[in-house]
Amino acid sequence: MNYFLQSIRRRIKNVKALLVAFICLVSVHAHAQGTVSGRITDSRGEGLPGVTVQVQGTTTGAITDVEGNFSLSVSSEAVLEISYIGFESQTIPVNGQTTINVTLLEDIEELSEVVVIGYGSVKKSDITGSVSSVKSKDLQAFPLLNAAQALQGRAAGVVVQSENGGEPGAAIDIKIRGSTSLIASSSPLIVVDGFIGATMPQQNDIASIEILKDASAAAIYGSRGSNGVIMVTTKKGVPGKITVEVNSTISSSETTNKLDLLNADQYNSLQTITNPAFVQGPADTDWQDLLFTTGSIHNHQFSVAGGSDKLNFYTSVNYFNQDGVIINSGFERYSFLANIDAQASDKLKIGVNLFTRRSIQDGVPTQSTGDTANGGGDDVIGLMFRFRPDLGIFNEDGSYTVQNVGGNVDNPYAVAIERINEVKADRSRANLYLDYEIIKGLSFRSTLGIRTRNENTRSYIPSILTETDGGLGGTAEINNRQSNHLLSENYLTYTRKIGKGNLTFVAGHSYQKDVIERFSSGGTGLIQDNLAFFDLSAVAVPFVPSSSYSETEILSQYGRVNFDWDDKYLITATIRRDGSSRFSEDEKYALFPSAAIGWRVSNEPFLRDIQVISNLKLRASYGVTGNTAIPALSSFQQFETVSGLGNGGVVTGVVPEQAANANLRWESSFQTNIGLDLGLFDNRVTMELNYYNIDTKDVLSPDFNLPLYLGFDEPFAIANLGEINNQGFEIALGTTNIYSKDVQWTTDFNWSMNRTEVVSLVDGIDIFLDASPGYFTRERTHVISEGEVLGAFWGHSYVGVYTGGALPEGVAMKENGEIGDPMFLEVADEEGNFDGIIDDNDQMIIGDPTPDFVFGINNTVSYKNFDLNVFVQAVQGGDIFNLTRVQLMNGDANAHTDILNAWTLQNPESNIPRVGNNSAIELSDRFIEDGSYIRLKNVAIGYTLPSDLVKKIGMTSARVSFSAQNLLTITGYSGLDPEVNYFGGGGETNNPANPRNSNTTNGFDYGNYPTIRTYTFSVNLKF
Amino acid sequence: MNRYKALLLVVLGLSVVACSDLEEEPIGEVVPETFFTDVASVQVALNGVYARAHHRFFLARETSIPIMLRSDMIDIGNQNTRAERIAHNNFTDVATNDNTSVAWKAMYDIIAAANLAIQGAGIATGSEEQLNRLSGEAHFFRAMTYFHLVRQFGSVIYIDEPITDADAISNAIPFTPEELYAEIIEDLEFAKSVLPVPEDEDNKSVPSKVAASAYLASVYLTIGDYANALSEAQEIIDREGEYGLGLEPDFQNLFHYERVKSSNEPIFVLDFIGIAPIDATNWYTDYLAPLTGIEGNFTPKQGGWTVMVPSFDVYDTWDGRDYRRAVSFDTTAFSQAGDTVDYTQFSMLDPLNSNRPHIAKYQRFPGDPEKIGNESRASELDYLLMRYAEVLLIGAEAAVEEGRADLALQYINRVRARARNGAVDGDNIKYPPSAFPADLAAVTVEDVLEERRLELAFEGKRWYDIIRRDLGQTVFSAAGLEGEKPGFIYPDDYLIPIPANEVARNPNLGN
Repeated sequence: MNYFLQSIRRRIKNVKALLVAFICLVSVHAHAQGTVSGRITDSRGEGLPGVTVQVQGTTTGAITDVEGNFSLSVSSEAVLEISYIGFESQTIPVNGQTTINVTLLEDIEELSEVVVIGYGSVKKSDITGSVSSVKSKDLQAFPLLNAAQALQGRAAGVVVQSENGGEPGAAIDIKIRGSTSLIASSSPLIVVDGFIGATMPQQNDIASIEILKDASAAAIYGSRGSNGVIMVTTKKGVPGKITVEVNSTISSSETTNKLDLLNADQYNSLQTITNPAFVQGPADTDWQDLLFTTGSIHNHQFSVAGGSDKLNFYTSVNYFNQDGVIINSGFERYSFLANIDAQASDKLKIGVNLFTRRSIQDGVPTQSTGDTANGGGDDVIGLMFRFRPDLGIFNEDGSYTVQNVGGNVDNPYAVAIERINEVKADRSRANLYLDYEIIKGLSFRSTLGIRTRNENTRSYIPSILTETDGGLGGTAEINNRQSNHLLSENYLTYTRKIGKGNLTFVAGHSYQKDVIERFSSGGTGLIQDNLAFFDLSAVAVPFVPSSSYSETEILSQYGRVNFDWDDKYLITATIRRDGSSRFSEDEKYALFPSAAIGWRVSNEPFLRDIQVISNLKLRASYGVTGNTAIPALSSFQQFETVSGLGNGGVVTGVVPEQAANANLRWESSFQTNIGLDLGLFDNRVTMELNYYNIDTKDVLSPDFNLPLYLGFDEPFAIANLGEINNQGFEIALGTTNIYSKDVQWTTDFNWSMNRTEVVSLVDGIDIFLDASPGYFTRERTHVISEGEVLGAFWGHSYVGVYTGGALPEGVAMKENGEIGDPMFLEVADEEGNFDGIIDDNDQMIIGDPTPDFVFGINNTVSYKNFDLNVFVQAVQGGDIFNLTRVQLMNGDANAHTDILNAWTLQNPESNIPRVGNNSAIELSDRFIEDGSYIRLKNVAIGYTLPSDLVKKIGMTSARVSFSAQNLLTITGYSGLDPEVNYFGGGGETNNPANPRNSNTTNGFDYGNYPTIRTYTFSVNLKF
Repeated sequence: MNRYKALLLVVLGLSVVACSDLEEEPIGEVVPETFFTDVASVQVALNGVYARAHHRFFLARETSIPIMLRSDMIDIGNQNTRAERIAHNNFTDVATNDNTSVAWKAMYDIIAAANLAIQGAGIATGSEEQLNRLSGEAHFFRAMTYFHLVRQFGSVIYIDEPITDADAISNAIPFTPEELYAEIIEDLEFAKSVLPVPEDEDNKSVPSKVAASAYLASVYLTIGDYANALSEAQEIIDREGEYGLGLEPDFQNLFHYERVKSSNEPIFVLDFIGIAPIDATNWYTDYLAPLTGIEGNFTPKQGGWTVMVPSFDVYDTWDGRDYRRAVSFDTTAFSQAGDTVDYTQFSMLDPLNSNRPHIAKYQRFPGDPEKIGNESRASELDYLLMRYAEVLLIGAEAAVEEGRADLALQYINRVRARARNGAVDGDNIKYPPSAFPADLAAVTVEDVLEERRLELAFEGKRWYDIIRRDLGQTVFSAAGLEGEKPGFIYPDDYLIPIPANEVARNPNLGN
């Protein structure tokens, strides 16, 4: 220990010596002929810290302090170069002045901006691939549960969706350029400060986000890059005085919409039609009013940053607390981040990133999977729509009311209050790096990091919920999932000037190891409800506990060459060799090459004189990325352990699980990108166009060609089958409409479209899936079929109400059809004949959930100390299968008021079939709606307090703002909200590990937690 | 500066854990290479067979639904139930019927598990007798399952060992029914030769020598080999004392979750044990109780889904003096308020109910009322897949065919005599001894079939009787119990279409 301390002391001495030497060196260089001092400010008069003020042609210079002040000894003839990232540089001759105050204007060109790419960074102007950047100020425009939400509508080709609307703590899914896979995830890789597969940091901790969209940009991540890569850089400390920053937002939230449902009297008259003996209940309850409430969000962040030439640090603590707009739903999160970078010697830099957070989600059941006994009968939102309005919360004896028409269900208030669904998750990440300059131009970087996640999901269904509990006396369950992720990277970077050219070369080695362990236990029949899941030994009947272990490794080598010649011709070539433990012996390794070229036409002599065109670049890239996202041991022959009945009790046995597949290999995406970057009028107008084509081959898919009669527990083992194509077009347009000292107005617009097509499936066999709640007891809601989108809606095609007479050819009713029943189109058999009856054979493709295009428009206006942000986001086209309405027009429980207009003899013109018709729980195109919408995502007005005022109270800057999110949505969709993400009764989607994040199950609405409208007050203070 | 070099080496050293051969070690998973060592390991594979046989996709739900609904004894109650079920009832089912596909797979899952256990018994070392017994049980399950398959689908793929080359088996040629029956008989003969006679305490869900023998009799009867059917049945009946067999005095006790346990009548059963025993997913619960129960019936729990309900004629044509009708049907239910509701008013309890008597065999005494859960879904019932009364009736039918009227009368009248006992255990239900059904003085094949229809009503036997005795044109005519069935196409509808996807995967299949 003593030795260790001494060693540190000695080292500090060394560093001190170095520091002294450095300062001496600087002073020797300077010819002290006079001192110039001054202050560098931005257009609002705020001091800019960290600005470089350098004497032209020398290494003499200074850096502004935290208030923007500098002082420098120079000769009176010297010329000062003042530069700062994100601002236009200025050159100012001293001319004998002793005080020089400069106002820097923000750089709207941004071409000199440095963009982070995998294993390095490049100037934006040198990019050859397709990369989108999201600015820090857009990330912080309004409070977010997850920083990924900030990408929605901000970047072309990036689709962001909550897995469950405005649910507190809902996960956020990102898709870049469509779904490239069938069973594997289409989520992009998130890289935070070089750590692959990290958790997204808090929004206020993020300095920048870059999205690598094409193969050229993403191929350096090889087998993990096929869904694109999101590069996140967190804030770092800058030398100078320590800055303290406080960001606080307080929001109030509410639902945006409510459905028109029957009241008690209307409900009674509806029930009487099918059940003349119906007895109306004693109450008149609006369950929506009872369950929807005003929610709130508190988000507070406190950060401290600072440093010296040798050591910089940034550290922050964040607290987020949300109460949902449905009673009893909430989310709480604490997180900590620390980034420390040290210049240990002039050649060696070391640093560490530390991140930890705890989140607690206290949910109410929504989007019910229907896995439970009541199959869809246990989710609060579905229940609040269909539960009888003529019943109150409690019976006379104090017990909760239940509904026994249209399925037996508990009342939604009881479910929201009494059920416990809790997820506690702890995540942490530590990443250590070391950067060593071996010789000039050649540096070596080594990183070693670990990430852990411990997630504890607990649920309890109390016996007081008589229907959900089903007489079992309470059901308690605890699931624990623990993952550990190790990442080690070592790479060399070499840069060199060759004539007019610049060469950058990266070569490295990477090792990743993931271990996931799960354990679950539970039981039924508790001594008393308040034990919930806290005392599993108290259950009368324990579940058989289960546990599992999964370990996967990836071992890689990679290299990249960037070369530009004369700022005109750009070449990037990348190759990565990945080895994955998931694949069979001979298929473990694969190569992922890519190449891209760029031509900066605007730097050619023939364009240089055309003043209008400030930038013109053509880009093209081609490359291969892969996807390994299949479970461990997929290539093995396996047994499955089952616990079932036998010999009069519970037995544990084994059955055949799957056949061996020695040929299991990577899924590969062959991607082409063609792009054009244009800047006009000194880049006051910028435009970026991209066209891409992605052919995903060897798609990892269950082998549906294996007969069921093989008798495997997993009948369709994963194999490389089929092909999927994605094509799309993206436009990003940025204009600086007004740019003066007092007024600035910029507009950013992005537009994108993507089309996914299933090119081939195993033997052309269609794959049918079910996304309806379990109690619907229907089997087919959508299909994966060659030549179609991934997951087209499937069902009957509604013609109208039968009002008598002969049915036209090819139109029929279901069995026992009569007047007032619905008519549907028939599908002819192989001989072209119609059988005159509507059954499963008459189902067809009836809709497509893919949007035609999506766009976002972001306007930022600042006038002196005021700023205004207006952000609109929109989706055009894309059908929604409104399963909520299927239920609410069924008439067996509470219903939509539209049902009052159903066909009767007195209302013969109605296009709504009679109540109690022969087509119960009808899955037809009658319930398919256009999901287009335009949403006013954010309106914010901010005011920055005058800097001389805040200085008096000891602050550097202070800003207050008031904003509103989701203030207005224009849509023709009749449900609560067009951003839907239901996935069905059996959770039957392509991605069983996370059915909510599915490539194939999209556009279904049933019991989604509604998107919320939020009013936010924010304060930002810097000290 | 050396210090930094040292630090560099340390970090590098840490990083060079990065050497791996990417081999996967199957931790927490079981693979065949190392699995079969001793008797216990074979028992584990056999446990897999038991579990498969009790899975709800087999006779607890999906596999029972077609063979029950296709018969003339059970009709659809709730018209809103799944279309795939209504299609089976009306013979409008097509090759894409999902219920068929699920049942098909459930049966082959049992076979695959049995093949694994048989392989294991060949690999493992240990007591020859014990290994033989386990192998015999697996042979029994395999035969029993193929027996269902051949009667439902006709020619099907026959697999009798674990799959090593999936591609080859994917293009196999199906066995004809004759070939399949030969294999089934061979398996059952083997089972009969190695399995012991059950002891009193043995659970009847574990196959015994008697079960193998009774199934052999049933198989011979099905293929029209009446001589062997008779000798096999006779062998059992003659040894009823040795085998511990006898007719249960009170017919109701057979359908009482507790009393059936001590009965001498069951020969082979599926044994459900009640309250959600395994996990929250209900894979191993009895669904015949909810499928046959009355919606909104509050005794002992809320009844059921009113899906499989006999046509009114089944009840109406059954002589009211027959105790078995009272045991087989529920004609009343109880509202939530506790009022008795007659079957003509069942729709008052819930509009989904049809106003007809419902099946009582699975609903009246399904388990401890405190534990059985909603719709009796967690029932503790035993499904009587083979009971002594059926052996007597197999014997009677074969005896008629073989010209042994004496034996036939003796056997069938034992079954009828038991029915006349009425409610011996009066605490079940009240029913006095009855003069009906009286002993027969002469017996025809039709008499035996009619006896089977009533005695074994709703136990999944009738559809197979209709096929093997070619009764379709009669029972599905206008004079039949369910009225004319326009969807019934003779004789095609004796077979259920093999799932279309299976035919697409192996075009050699198809019926």
